[in-house]
Amino acid sequence: MRKGDLAAIIDLNEKDNQIQPLTAARPIGTLPFAGRYRLIDFPLSSLDHANVRSVAIFLPKSGRSVTDHIRSGSTWNMDQITGGIFTYPYMAGRDYEDPELRARYYDDYLQFLRKSSAQYTIIMGTQNVANVDVDAIVAYHQAGESPVTTAYKNLPETAMQPEDLTLDMTELGTASSVVPASENRGHLKEGKIPAFMDIYLIGTIDLIDLLVDASEAPTFKRLPQIMREAVLQNNANAFEYTGFLAKLNTIQRYYDANMSMLEDQNYQALLYSANSIETKNKNEIPTYFSTESKVTNSLLGTGDFIEGDVNHSILFRNVHIHRDALVDHSIVMQGSKVGTGSSVKYAILDKGVIIGPNLALEGTPEEPLVFSKNQKVFQPDGKGVTARA
Amino acid sequence: MLGIILAGGQGTRLGKLTKTTAKPSVPFGGRYRIIDFTLSNLANSGVNTAGVITQYQPLELNRHIQNGASWGLNERGAGVTILQPYASSEGEKFFEGTAHAIYQNIAYIDSYNPQYLLILSGDHIYKMDYQAMLDYHKSKKASLTVAVMPVAKDEAKRFGIMNTDDTDRIIEFEEKPAKPKSNLASMGIYIFNWPTLKQYLTESYATDGAMEDFGHDVIPAYLTHNEASYAYAFRGYWKDVGTIQSLWEANMEFLNPNNPLNIGNRNWRIFSQNEALPPMFLTKTAKVSGSMIVDGCYVAGAIQHSILSQNVKIGEGSVIKDSMIMPNAVIGKNVTVDHAIVGENAIIGDNGKVIGKPNEISVVGYGEVLGRTEKE
Repeated sequence: MRKGDLAAIIDLNEKDNQIQPLTAARPIGTLPFAGRYRLIDFPLSSLDHANVRSVAIFLPKSGRSVTDHIRSGSTWNMDQITGGIFTYPYMAGRDYEDPELRARYYDDYLQFLRKSSAQYTIIMGTQNVANVDVDAIVAYHQAGESPVTTAYKNLPETAMQPEDLTLDMTELGTASSVVPASENRGHLKEGKIPAFMDIYLIGTIDLIDLLVDASEAPTFKRLPQIMREAVLQNNANAFEYTGFLAKLNTIQRYYDANMSMLEDQNYQALLYSANSIETKNKNEIPTYFSTESKVTNSLLGTGDFIEGDVNHSILFRNVHIHRDALVDHSIVMQGSKVGTGSSVKYAILDKGVIIGPNLALEGTPEEPLVFSKNQKVFQPDGKGVTARA
Repeated sequence: MLGIILAGGQGTRLGKLTKTTAKPSVPFGGRYRIIDFTLSNLANSGVNTAGVITQYQPLELNRHIQNGASWGLNERGAGVTILQPYASSEGEKFFEGTAHAIYQNIAYIDSYNPQYLLILSGDHIYKMDYQAMLDYHKSKKASLTVAVMPVAKDEAKRFGIMNTDDTDRIIEFEEKPAKPKSNLASMGIYIFNWPTLKQYLTESYATDGAMEDFGHDVIPAYLTHNEASYAYAFRGYWKDVGTIQSLWEANMEFLNPNNPLNIGNRNWRIFSQNEALPPMFLTKTAKVSGSMIVDGCYVAGAIQHSILSQNVKIGEGSVIKDSMIMPNAVIGKNVTVDHAIVGENAIIGDNGKVIGKPNEISVVGYGEVLGRTEKE
């Protein structure tokens, strides 16, 4: 796309009750992923590669991690003389019974869209980790007949949960509605369900019309509902994505998706495609591996200090694994420490977790142990105190 | 105080490594380039304005420094300026020496009207607080302060040696003396009172006594004219990395977690300009010990007491030992690299061997290709 022709909207208020406690103080959008990234890096990098320079970000209740990560947006070239990152604060309780707040809801979108002077607008979520070619979606939209375009990936039925949103497909390959997997009556190919990727593309003028209509309607409707109704009315163009996709809305899916990065083809497809994934640079020192360390089949960030054993795991930056410790099939986030002689298997350690010495903590592949942010564990039963951040 | 980094030298003693790039932009320690230490010292010392004088092969250096944002040196009204030779109505202004380079950039320096000028070289590995040196300079009411490093007596004849009196005033300067009288080696770091230095330089070029070099011309003239010149003793880690051997040694010392450079000290961080790369991937066959690795690396072989820089690939069955591998190098399968420096973008094909000795480090040049790698 020519610079400025496409604007983007990302709403970080995504359903996160099944991924607690990892989302206790952050939205899904800033969940750490694959040893280095935050989930919002994926849509922002896709938008960057499509020359998008105006992005509206609707902040969740805790916006701190979002603004800290995004700053000026320079990482994704969003700090140029035109356009930029526009953040909209979370409105207390989103009490849209209050007519003033209701008007504000639509006004935020309308102001952004009118000012952007973009021909098209793309609406994206952050819970689907993918490396999406946004230009290809625009081209598909331009070639299609419907005013609305959605994106999906065909996934085996076994990979779906009943409440996952899917596209009900027509025989012509368009989407007639966005429905939970359990209600999908559409035209399925080889037992695969078209998983909806939380992406809509629409002409900016059309979107402005929809929002103006909604603002004048008697019942309150949020943007996702407006878009689902637009699909129902128009049979949307449905763009099929075939690359790496993981939906990270539960602990189990979060764990599995991270572990899947240890498979070469996934790591290459997501992180080494022509469209690089950009993230905030942290100037950490190189990771040090002592002469006693033993690390296999793992992804590591920089600034780590490894004196023990690490196998089949993902370590973010600034992690310290002490002597005779073992980390196996686990995810260890930034600044965590595993003490001398301790073993941690099938676990997720959020940022700043400290595991004391000589402890054996073990989850299972189906139920990984989760330690919440800044938790300090010194008891063999794995219980510990959660320090207030 | 305004900083000037002299980064224009060719660094001929680094051989193949500086064939296509300037010495200050040579990679160091996995994620740094040599000049990062000086630029970070400036930022950490609160010196927000600096000129970087470049001349020899400046492309990589300019691209690295950009507007100085990576070091937090991109402030309004301050920041980093790249100073390259240029043509003017008086002719071309190529730099004939360190002092000549300052003379040619008087207009830049005067535009900030500094009281003090801090002159640095961009090819040393060290952490130093220039503000503390300025405090010393002021307390001595000096016209010139030279940072010096006590070196071993038998090493002293390799350096410019400052002989001082008991107030640390410099009374004599000897370049590489056969019989050194002291062990205080000049670090090539100077603080000058700018109006005085400017006067010396302009007068020398107005007559036929053109001052080209600080060590050769300016310091002797200062001593002859009794300018108050003092030695400021520095006692931290300092390494000149001007030769293949010293560059390799400094990298090996960097591997020691107890290195006095204390790279992990978050109160004096060394910043660099890096692209965001995926985390490093160590495969099932990787075997890493006593080494440093950074992001973007893919390791399927054995790494022993070595440094891998960004985006380095090491194939299965390969052994990297006591070596420094620079960014984007690709090393195939069953390769042996021992006591070596492998340049940026070099490719070593399957079964290759690059074997040096502790006192004779083997070098693979930038972009050099040795042998062939089978396509998978």
